[in-house]
Amino acid sequence: MKRLIQFLFNYRLLALIKKEFNQIRRDRRLAISLILPPVVQLTLFGFALSANVTNVRLGVVDDSHSPESRELIATLTESRSFRLAGYYFSVNELGDAVSRGTVDAGVVVPYDYAKDLARDRPTTVQFLLNAMNANTATISRAYAEGVIQSYNSGLRGKGSSSRVETVAGMNLARRGQVQLQPAFLYNPGLVDSWFIVTGVFGLLLILNSSLVSSAAMVREREAGTIEQLLMSPASTSEIIIAKITPLFILLCMMMLVAIAVLKLAFGVPFHGSVAFLLFGGALCILSGISIGTVIATFSKSAQQAQLTSFFVNPPLSSLSGALNPVEAMPKWLQPVTVLNPIHHFATIVRGSTLKGSGFMDLWPNFLGLLIFTAILVSLSVWRFRKQLS
Amino acid sequence: MRRIVAQTRKELTQIVRDWRTLALALILPNVLLLLMSTAISLTVNELPIVVQDFDDSSASHDFIDAIRASITLHVVSWPVNKSPEQALASNAARAVLIIPSHFGRDIARGVNAPVQLLVDASDANTAKLTSGYATQITAAYNRQTAGAMQAGLVQTAIRLWYNPGLSSKKFYGPGVFVLGLSMFPPLLAALAMAKEGEQKTILQVYVSSISAHEFLLGKIIAFMVVALAECLVMCLLLFTYFGLSFAGDPTPFLIATILYAFCVASFGTMVGATIPNQAASMQAVALGGFLLVFLLSGLMFPIENIPAGLRWISNFIWGRYYIEIVRDALLQGGGWPAVWYKVLIVGLIGTIFYGIAWRGMRKMQVKV
Repeated sequence: MKRLIQFLFNYRLLALIKKEFNQIRRDRRLAISLILPPVVQLTLFGFALSANVTNVRLGVVDDSHSPESRELIATLTESRSFRLAGYYFSVNELGDAVSRGTVDAGVVVPYDYAKDLARDRPTTVQFLLNAMNANTATISRAYAEGVIQSYNSGLRGKGSSSRVETVAGMNLARRGQVQLQPAFLYNPGLVDSWFIVTGVFGLLLILNSSLVSSAAMVREREAGTIEQLLMSPASTSEIIIAKITPLFILLCMMMLVAIAVLKLAFGVPFHGSVAFLLFGGALCILSGISIGTVIATFSKSAQQAQLTSFFVNPPLSSLSGALNPVEAMPKWLQPVTVLNPIHHFATIVRGSTLKGSGFMDLWPNFLGLLIFTAILVSLSVWRFRKQLS
Repeated sequence: MRRIVAQTRKELTQIVRDWRTLALALILPNVLLLLMSTAISLTVNELPIVVQDFDDSSASHDFIDAIRASITLHVVSWPVNKSPEQALASNAARAVLIIPSHFGRDIARGVNAPVQLLVDASDANTAKLTSGYATQITAAYNRQTAGAMQAGLVQTAIRLWYNPGLSSKKFYGPGVFVLGLSMFPPLLAALAMAKEGEQKTILQVYVSSISAHEFLLGKIIAFMVVALAECLVMCLLLFTYFGLSFAGDPTPFLIATILYAFCVASFGTMVGATIPNQAASMQAVALGGFLLVFLLSGLMFPIENIPAGLRWISNFIWGRYYIEIVRDALLQGGGWPAVWYKVLIVGLIGTIFYGIAWRGMRKMQVKV
């Protein structure tokens, strides 16, 4: 223990750490890239990426021209889901409008619509949906069916014939209906941005840590001063610790800025323990630094390091479940996310902010993150040593 | 003319000699296309759902069987003595369906039986899909058991156009194709141009007899070739793995692709000419080519969802118009009447980039 303390506080190590601090302080670009991204990226991603489906532009072909059909169209368009974009005279015209992209959906009311309703005969209304975007199409289909369902239940209570029918329907043969009552836990207002920003938070920590650390690690090599470091009495572990410490402290400060943005700009609730969040974030930063170090040991210049990170970052960020649910990935890719630190961290962030989960729920993710960080840190130390010798 | 060709040949030789840039130009976009197009999709199947059945009657079993039979929800087992919220907190399930006792009796008596669905809404979009799926299954179950008398009078017949299988791959594939084109060719162009400034080889260009336009055009044509080669390889992937084909007239797509190649090559050259530092210009391209095109072009989420304060920016994002052209060509088939002005805009933005690059080159001379 005493030796460890002696090792950590010896003069050489402190001097090296001070040198790294000074170097970072004088590098204006590095300082900017530590403060600007969390604020800009979090706000941009949080505001710009929203899967919300509202104001679907609806084109209408009304062949019935009756009060009933106008009522149906009014019911459809008075919700926030659909917005009336225009009337068309024929189905062909409507089809052209859909393919030109001037409307996203179309509804065709048949000419015998009012007649059928008056006679209590079932009638069919046709919907055309531009299904290019599968997500939007699925959600607007659910909207359309929901609106028609509630329109139907309104009809049933109104007409005289249907009143007779309800009384008659109360016979013994009638079965009860299942009524589904959905309750949305953790985010009853269905705020889209909460999911995005908690995911981007993890992306930000890993990607920025790796970017900053690879730039810092490769600089010594680019400038050729790495030989001087080797000639100094400092050991390799001292050099590595001295390199990592200031970066780690600065990135932790970046994490705090990002948490402030989450809280202030997006109003993300903090139901769980902030300590989990900070601990998970610290592990995340360490693994990000390790990824950056490994990249740096494979490159001779800052430019090469950046190019190499183009090969590492996109798969890392797209296979994380940070921006979309893991279940949306193909089956064979889903297990890969277990190896991704961003995935574990995103789960921890969402658990400890939105859901208020405790340690009993999150320990597998902490364990995964811990193992991954340990492996990455040792890999980077090994690569760095190899590079030095 | 001869000088332009010579300049182009010089650039292409430089690209082919560096394996890292060559892989970046031809292999990485395809990897990205495969990974991203599946990884950014939002439509989910087989969402894990826990069912807690407090009734345990034949009616409740019937209802659970209806849920089990769906491909959108996947019933996972959960011990009865644990609270259902626990399943959501530990991420074991996305939703919990609770069937109360008396469910079967209520159904038999002809009274409506409420069933509660707890949805994990920490992901709002998936929550909406989950509850939508459950509602559809319940409605179908009701229709099936109740018979024709109780079905609604107004029925909906929904036609899904352009993508009837609701495959996300077909929507995101063309988007990521554009993202790849907007990112890698300008990256290489910016690196090559910045290198001339960084290593001062630009001075040799100034003292040679080649004019600024010839020099720039030579460079841009070289990177257009790279972009078109990349486009060709990615199109092969789109037509085979993604199962896409031309939905209508392919000429707008072909012309727009050539114009877009010019646009992105000029963008890279412009960045390299105005920022003669390789690392910094790479970051600028990453910002312009990746971040802006990814966020503000309607690649993943509709542009209408962006708040108005940011949405106007997307009018200037070159990738936005090209994405619309590509999606039109491969899915909608609207042809020239639908996209003619978008093709023009892509060309216009490319010309503006070229103009700025030309001015940047004159400034570079003063700087060096």
